[in-house]
Amino acid sequence: MIVSFPNMGYSWPAFKTLIECMGVKVVLPDPTNREAVKIGVKYSPEFVCFPFKPTLGDFVSAIKKGADTLVMAVDCGPCRFGFYHAVQERILHDMGYKDVRVIPLDQADLLEFKWVKTLFEVTPTKNLFLYTKAVKAVQYFIKKTKYIEDISTAEGLIRCYERNKGDTTRVVKKLLIKLDETNKINELRKFKSVITNEFKKIDIDRSRNPLKVALSGEIHITLEPYDNLDIRRKLGEMGVQLYQNLSVYDWVIHKFHLNFHRKWLEYLARPYMPMDIGGEAIWVIGEYIDRARSGFDGFIHAYPFTCMPEISARTILTNVLYKKYDLPIIFFSFDEHAAESGFRTRLEAFVDLIQGRREKKKHEKETKLEKKLKEPSYEIHGGSLYNSVVQFIQAG
Amino acid sequence: MQSKKTTNQRELKHLKDALKSYRYDKKSKIKVGIPRALHFYRFFPFWKKLLEELGCELILSPHTNKQIVEEGAFQGFGELCLPVKVYYGHMLYLIREPPELDYVFVPRYVSERVEGYFCPKFLSLPDVIRTLPNIPKILTFTINVKENPISNSIISLAKILGKGQREALQAYEKAKKYHKQYQDFLRKGTPVGYALKLVEKDKPFKMLKKKTPKNIKFLLLGHGYNIFDTFVNLDFQKKLTRHGVDVLTIENLPEILFKEPVIINKQFRPYWLHEDEILAAIRYFLVQGRKEIDGVIFLISFACGPDSLIAELIMRDMKVIRLPFLQIIMDEHTGEAGLLTRIESFVEMIKRKKRKLDAMKEKQDLKIFEEA
Repeated sequence: MIVSFPNMGYSWPAFKTLIECMGVKVVLPDPTNREAVKIGVKYSPEFVCFPFKPTLGDFVSAIKKGADTLVMAVDCGPCRFGFYHAVQERILHDMGYKDVRVIPLDQADLLEFKWVKTLFEVTPTKNLFLYTKAVKAVQYFIKKTKYIEDISTAEGLIRCYERNKGDTTRVVKKLLIKLDETNKINELRKFKSVITNEFKKIDIDRSRNPLKVALSGEIHITLEPYDNLDIRRKLGEMGVQLYQNLSVYDWVIHKFHLNFHRKWLEYLARPYMPMDIGGEAIWVIGEYIDRARSGFDGFIHAYPFTCMPEISARTILTNVLYKKYDLPIIFFSFDEHAAESGFRTRLEAFVDLIQGRREKKKHEKETKLEKKLKEPSYEIHGGSLYNSVVQFIQAG
Repeated sequence: MQSKKTTNQRELKHLKDALKSYRYDKKSKIKVGIPRALHFYRFFPFWKKLLEELGCELILSPHTNKQIVEEGAFQGFGELCLPVKVYYGHMLYLIREPPELDYVFVPRYVSERVEGYFCPKFLSLPDVIRTLPNIPKILTFTINVKENPISNSIISLAKILGKGQREALQAYEKAKKYHKQYQDFLRKGTPVGYALKLVEKDKPFKMLKKKTPKNIKFLLLGHGYNIFDTFVNLDFQKKLTRHGVDVLTIENLPEILFKEPVIINKQFRPYWLHEDEILAAIRYFLVQGRKEIDGVIFLISFACGPDSLIAELIMRDMKVIRLPFLQIIMDEHTGEAGLLTRIESFVEMIKRKKRKLDAMKEKQDLKIFEEA
């Protein structure tokens, strides 16, 4: 049995260990590319939300590499995501891959431990030691997702300072491969120092004063660089410091009911949207308020074309919150028609505008802003790695 | 010309005065506006009975027209699905037009079943409507069986209207009974548009005269707000009947079909409630009722999330059993000619297929006859 799963940005080392620890061989699909999207577009229904198409393409590329069991996450929430695996399996069967199984990884509520069943279903041998294996797999998985989150936060913070374009991207790639190769608990525990050391090697220009922009939206789109036309790198190279809460780790601990940051965001969003309607809608609204209060320069909302929950969030953001909090916001809805240059122009225009706005605000800061914001503003608080990176940038 | 205009204005003034006095008379009643869109086509009898029992006066927006759609499309941005845009349009009409409303009724439907949901746009409907300009107070109640029973939310609705718990429960019972009657009436084969008209005018449920059954019978799938909103779908049903086709909708099918859950996959149960009904109806016609219909038409509004996946599943099933299937996607600028051509060709295709089958049958009969 050879198992595979679709791409989602940097998260592949984590999912790989999760399944490899169970003693199963894993094949990774090619990084999402034009070919995969083409296949996805050809075989999937006309206007499903975009992540459906590249993931289908990834499945096909994995099957061509020899995979016969595919794992797809499921959410039995109100949005379309829960239907993905059922329809994708049907499509794959109709395409001629009859022996392929698509196994759902239930992540509706991780404390219900339905995912253990999936892990056991993936493994061919059944014995008593499987439970210890599962514990190890989850431990490694969570550790690795945490490090991946750290890597991506450090990447967002540092890229705008780099002197040689492309340094950060190289470091990130190197770190991910290194993370994939470390499979001992002692080494994993020390991996944080590896990350900080690698990032400290980058030659940075401390005199810059980058714009602070937050990126939020649907999780697959914001994490997968091919789908979002590499928005993180483009913004970083334009001199924008990027903050992103979304990550697999953030999502997983939320599903274990331990993510207090998300609870805070929910609290902020409650007057505008009292319940979770699927996708990231409620947290996008919460994050917008949060970022506005902590003094950001801009906000980017990225989502797949016709995503139902995010569209509801967008309506509320434009009609109410933008008028109230006055944080510049730009919306990107992605689909398979990737017009790179148009996208770049929009981004550049947005960055120029918020740059101009910042300079304008400098003069009238004391008079108007304090009156406008009735709620107290606060500073950003990150994790320990965030703090160390910020210290490194400030002091050297 | 001028004289005509002035007379028109005079008439308008008269009308306005009459309206004012009318309002004065019925001041004791709370005026609640209901837009004729989305869930209206499914739950209106229930709402009507419930709100009238709780002492409200209902004011409905008119049938969808061009202005409403345009206004709605202007208010909502491009990616929203058509039904929500139409809902915006109706809402804006209700806000703008004369009888001043105390409330607009925007219910939040989360789930009617423990393991199920409505489309996310229904879950956030009151929140989104609240963002419209000059909106009056919103009268909302949440139907979420996961957290508390329906009667609880109706009690809290009655509290807003100044009614007690007992009255609320009585109203709920009556509304439930009325809705059941309405559904039974539909299951006898009445078209929904006609039944809603009866409900609106407070008339007893009386069957239409039965027309002679036609040669071809279609199953028309889709959400109520797509099928029964005659402006949005360019009077689709009438076009079909003009071509000599009988139309069956989900509402007309017997209740037994929907009781068993649909299984797509061993590990998976669909969770959208409307789509579940569509799938259940199709499941019946896939196996037992294969010969009862000649074709299936699925009306989808552009950018509808759930339908995009459901339609794919249905299409793949239809290919297997070789039942003709037509999928029509609508948006706010539909050209009538294109739609007509598609219907005509589809109907013509089925007629030809039927003729061929009949000829084959005759031949076979002849053969049997000759052999005998």
